[in-house]
Amino acid sequence: MTRIPQWMMSARVLAGLSVAALICLAALFAPLLAPHDPNEQTLTSILLPPAWLPGGQADFPLGTDSLGRCVLSRLLYGARIAMTVALLSSFGAMVLGAVLAHVAGYFGGAVDWLIGRVVDIWMSFPPVILALIFMVGLGPGLRNVILSIILVDWTRFCRVLRSEVLIVTRRDYVTAARLLGFSHWRIIAREIAPATTPLLITLASLEMGIAVIVEAILSFVGLSVTADTPAWGQMIADARLSIYQSSWNLVFPVLAIFVTVFAFNILGDGLRRTLDVRLAEAQRA
Amino acid sequence: MSLLVARDLSVSASIGGETLPVLQSLCFSLAPGKILGLVGESGAGKSMLGLTIAQMLPPGFACSSGSLSFGGEDLIAMPAVKRRALLGRDIAFIPQEPLSALNPVLTIGQQIGEHLARLGLATAAERKARALALFDSVHLPQGEQLLDRYPHQISGGMCQRVLIAMAFAGKPRLVIADEPTTALDVTIQARIVRLIVDMQKRNHTAVVFITHDLRLATHICDDILVLYAGRPVEYGPARRLFSAPAHPYTRCLQLASPSMRGERRALLALPERMPGLRAWKDLRGCAFAPRCPVAIAGCSQAPPALAETAPGHRAACIRSAETGGIVAPPPTAVAPAGEHQPVLQAQRLCKTFAIGGLFRRMRFSALRDVSFELRRNEFLGIVGESGSGKTTLARLLVGLETPSQGRIRFATEVSDTRRQRRSEIQLVFQDPQSALNPRRRVGTIVTQSLEAEGTATPAARAERARELLREIGLAPEMAARFPAQLSGGQKQRVNIARALCASPKILVADEIVSGLDVSVQAQLLDLLIALRRQRPFSMIFISHDLSVVRYLCDRVLVMYRGEIVESGATGEVFAAPKHPYTRALLAAMPPDDPSAAWAPALFESDAGSAP
Repeated sequence: MTRIPQWMMSARVLAGLSVAALICLAALFAPLLAPHDPNEQTLTSILLPPAWLPGGQADFPLGTDSLGRCVLSRLLYGARIAMTVALLSSFGAMVLGAVLAHVAGYFGGAVDWLIGRVVDIWMSFPPVILALIFMVGLGPGLRNVILSIILVDWTRFCRVLRSEVLIVTRRDYVTAARLLGFSHWRIIAREIAPATTPLLITLASLEMGIAVIVEAILSFVGLSVTADTPAWGQMIADARLSIYQSSWNLVFPVLAIFVTVFAFNILGDGLRRTLDVRLAEAQRA
Repeated sequence: MSLLVARDLSVSASIGGETLPVLQSLCFSLAPGKILGLVGESGAGKSMLGLTIAQMLPPGFACSSGSLSFGGEDLIAMPAVKRRALLGRDIAFIPQEPLSALNPVLTIGQQIGEHLARLGLATAAERKARALALFDSVHLPQGEQLLDRYPHQISGGMCQRVLIAMAFAGKPRLVIADEPTTALDVTIQARIVRLIVDMQKRNHTAVVFITHDLRLATHICDDILVLYAGRPVEYGPARRLFSAPAHPYTRCLQLASPSMRGERRALLALPERMPGLRAWKDLRGCAFAPRCPVAIAGCSQAPPALAETAPGHRAACIRSAETGGIVAPPPTAVAPAGEHQPVLQAQRLCKTFAIGGLFRRMRFSALRDVSFELRRNEFLGIVGESGSGKTTLARLLVGLETPSQGRIRFATEVSDTRRQRRSEIQLVFQDPQSALNPRRRVGTIVTQSLEAEGTATPAARAERARELLREIGLAPEMAARFPAQLSGGQKQRVNIARALCASPKILVADEIVSGLDVSVQAQLLDLLIALRRQRPFSMIFISHDLSVVRYLCDRVLVMYRGEIVESGATGEVFAAPKHPYTRALLAAMPPDDPSAAWAPALFESDAGSAP
């Protein structure tokens, strides 16, 4: 089995994956790549335009903000927050949502009803407002941002996966495993979960994009990480005040969010196209 | 003057850069008022003819040479507008799946009205009167109410009758019926076939009847064309073709299906299976040669031409003369029938399901007072049509459902945990596609019960897998394959092997051969008989096919609406049925003798009540 798996051949997956990997690397090596300390203020050169524009300095490739901090350095360090939140919170939401979805879909009955109603109630709240409420309750900090995104977004996984679990559970091979005397958990882990994993992976990559946006919103309103940690949402909030003097400050963090989310979305779309069993089967037939 | 004439009609498909022959040099002519049977196994290319006529071939498929003329006009070269005018008016179709052929969001009345409007009935009143007359002609009762029903509110048989009514509405000159009865119950099947033949006679319509059932085709068709691997292998008058087949394949098809009368004879199980589409291109000689019992070296040299063996009877075989000499193998000694010691007793089993939502809750009784016993080393057949409670009974026996009343007793006392039932009773599933986890390899699937025990080492499992695969007649290398890489028959073998792994005393087989072709079915039935000789076990064999039950089982239970209406030794029950329902089931089977009269009951006007 040395063949390259089919999902690696998709242009969307490759594009999305390589952009996401680049951003991850930039975040990982931010201390090496960044020309300045992200919090170092050079009050003599505030609101500089990017280096290639008149008035720009080679020392600050993407210019400086209203406090004279290097925009490039802050973007690189901000990627650390964005990527940490994207990876951990989507993973957490995936685990929580998937476990509940499998329990609901497999056991059915009262458990299914209960989980279904909780999801209904949960999804009736506007997600960002719910995240804000959690942040107010939990207090600021990276860990709490991740936690609140998990607590808000597990429902996306739960609802979509549950119907998939229902379909797989009705397959005869699941009944066969029950007849052979496997335990419920073993059946879920060995027979059902492998069939739902492709969908799970697809949903997780889409969720990463959503998590980046939610984190940006939270840090925009100042409810995410503390002010001494650079985050993209914070940069937008800061740039908002000097939007008429220097629009560049706004453009770069927005662009960073856009590129990241776009990468995760085309990755998710590509994975869906190649991993979705039903689509793949229809093409083969 | 022939209505539909095919001359060297060939259809090819370009898949992945290759051009593959799908149909090769099809020749036939169909006169008005006649029925042509197109017979072949699944994948032989039967449905391609209908698709070619409608120009609904899948992407990549095209008619590559030859001609197909309808009433003197070439259907292939005809402009699309003209063909569309013909379809539905002069040429009508009866589909295989009645439920999916009707639009679920429109009422029957809307759909038939739309069709009649296209046929030129201008006013709504006219259309309604005509629709009611049509319903009457297909024996559909209460036409007024039926017009307002949606397809899901009526049975599959009724849907098919609506479609037959629609097909014959425009007094077409040609009707293509593509396996119109496969999705239906046995007794309904026979009635639908009878109805199509009646309508055809009344309207003097020509019919192309596509089926996999040679016996059925013999009874209703005037001519039969047998297809194998996309090639016509035999073409001739139906009765003659059945009584004196000139191609070994036709003969083997006959000998592969169990008979309903006379001595129980062994089946001729052809080795292997029909080559797949991709292999057809590389076949140098006769496509059937690798499986043919009378093949000689010359058979794989060049493809044989369709040559006349008798007036109007042609066969593509250089060994035509030897065909008559093909006989079924001598009957194998049947394993000693069941001893009297029961291994399982069902005592007054009842199962009631609650259906419906919070309001309007209804109780539906799926099984009523079912009692029987299964003896050691006995094969017990259960027959009945869908909804008779066969599958519910199977699920109760293996412990997937609990009975509402009554009890199931095993010879050895087992508690209700599945772990303990495992070595007592196992279920073989109907649909191998769904019964095998597509992400597991065959080797781990067949030894799943060792995995459940959790004591076997990987080496022991691999050894057991090899052993099981040998027992069910698959090569040991198959252990490394995934289910998607197996054919339908092979999948069903793996399915059986998994159930056998725990060495259960009882196997419950739920319609395990119903989706398979005759030759593969014969292989599986023989496998079950061979397994029974090697290791004694009892089996409950659920099927709607009486001939298969007659071939395999010692005793039979006939179920109707959740109750056992008749039981006894298979031979006796089928030779002298006592209950009217058993008689109805038997009457629905086309007889073995092609010249015997076969007149299945017509639909009574109050269809739906007891037969």
